[in-house]
Amino acid sequence: MRTSTEAPATDPLDTYVLNMGPQHPSTHGVLRLKLTLQGERVLDVDPVIGYSHRAHEKMAENRTYAQFFPNTSRQDYLSGLIYNVAWAEAVEKLAGIAVPERALVARVILSEFNRIASHLLWVGAFLMDLGAATPFLYSFDDRETILGLLETVTGSRLTYGTARFGGLSKDLDGDFPRRARAVLAKLRARWPEFEGLIEGNVIFRQRTRGVGVMSLAQCHAWGVTGPMLRASGVAYDVRKAEPYGAYPRFSFDIPTRPEGDVFARYMVRIAEMQQSVRIIEQALDALPAGPILTEGSIGVKKRLKPPAGTLYYAVESARGAYGIVIVSEGGTEPWRAKFRTPSYANLAAMQDVMRGTMVADAVAILGSADVVMPEIDR
Amino acid sequence: MGAAADLAARLDAAGWTVAAPREHPMLGVAESRWCSPERLVESVRAARDAGFFYESMTCVDRLEADAAFELVYTFNRYDEAARLALRVRAPKDQPVPSLAGVYSIAAWNEREAWEFYGLGFAGHPNLTWLLLPEDTDFHPLLKSFTAPPPSIYDDSLNPPAATGDAHQH
Repeated sequence: MRTSTEAPATDPLDTYVLNMGPQHPSTHGVLRLKLTLQGERVLDVDPVIGYSHRAHEKMAENRTYAQFFPNTSRQDYLSGLIYNVAWAEAVEKLAGIAVPERALVARVILSEFNRIASHLLWVGAFLMDLGAATPFLYSFDDRETILGLLETVTGSRLTYGTARFGGLSKDLDGDFPRRARAVLAKLRARWPEFEGLIEGNVIFRQRTRGVGVMSLAQCHAWGVTGPMLRASGVAYDVRKAEPYGAYPRFSFDIPTRPEGDVFARYMVRIAEMQQSVRIIEQALDALPAGPILTEGSIGVKKRLKPPAGTLYYAVESARGAYGIVIVSEGGTEPWRAKFRTPSYANLAAMQDVMRGTMVADAVAILGSADVVMPEIDR
Repeated sequence: MGAAADLAARLDAAGWTVAAPREHPMLGVAESRWCSPERLVESVRAARDAGFFYESMTCVDRLEADAAFELVYTFNRYDEAARLALRVRAPKDQPVPSLAGVYSIAAWNEREAWEFYGLGFAGHPNLTWLLLPEDTDFHPLLKSFTAPPPSIYDDSLNPPAATGDAHQH
């Protein structure tokens, strides 16, 4: 229930409604925020969503499990590879399909690169929201390098379709580890630059510290997950809580910050990229030889008929806990597929977090949430 | 005993859970229970007070087989993997109690079920369209919904007028 933290305005003529979006650079996609303002103070926020609804869940009921692959990476186009792999893993679990060791590790490598690319885009776009144009150039330089690397394996730069039931469609070539390590070395050299350019910047600190503080109670009420939650001091990460794929083999930390403000969300994401680098390095060292796709699995063409049942499968996307619910009635198509996307809850929570702030802060707070509208609208 | 099993046992003891109306296994959860709509709010309040967060809600069309919807709620914890599924059989045209007063996020999930299935939620503060355009008068996730109606947003769905007639007038 909505409870205003601010005293309601006594004079209705004193308040006005400002539409932020749906075509506004800082809403990152087609999102409209109906802001009720008193002067520059936000009294109420009503997110209006659904502009990019494409009925992914209806589509899932009308095509085979394999035919749904192209839809997966179009939910969250910034970490699409993670969603693509998640669909494969969910159906593998439901249908009992074995995955070769090499494919499991390769999925981790590609997913973590995708996570870094997603966070890098966020760094650039978020700093742009705050009026800093330079970091964008740095982060996009690195992101471009990663996308180039992923392209050599998957053939795609954004909407990946490389996962298959039982592995991946293409193997990592012999030169991949060398190229991957070169990218990691470039990233490692970048962190000190970010530190000097962004964290040490007095304007950035003034704009972000103590702004948009989200309490643990708010996280609970809205089901917030991902970097947003970890910046509020909760070490919850699906990769640790419910280990899947090859993640249990690699050691990594869950970065948290106690402050719960916009600055903490920035620091958590930077630390997460560093942890992803750690994971990728271990995975490259431990990359097993062998097939990339289960023998006898003919990928897309095979018509699967998983047994009847309802499955909940969760992975950690770049934005938080992504859940796939598949209801199977034993047919070749899912009876129902539901996608619990992290941005959905994270955006909904903004209704509470933004209330009482200034308009300029609202832009910073929304930016710090790293919402991707297509995964909310589905 | 894990937190999910603990909570499920408490719901059982309180008599808020019911026998499964049909055999359909639930995978990927620590515990799964069927709950009557009348006891849903109490059960979910118990989950909240025990430290669970509202993870997801899935509405499933079972109208043909069962004349009802199936709602699958999942709750989880931040401190341990403890996914609890509460499943509710919701007969058609009977509103389900809203959980918006227990978990804020439930309001959005219920708006979605309402617009996509036409399922009502009693006590919802603002039951209106979330993802579909306002005033959409069809429920696209129903199994009975198979073709989009002619859309004001897409001319290609309206068949063009026969050209022969146009010349005669």
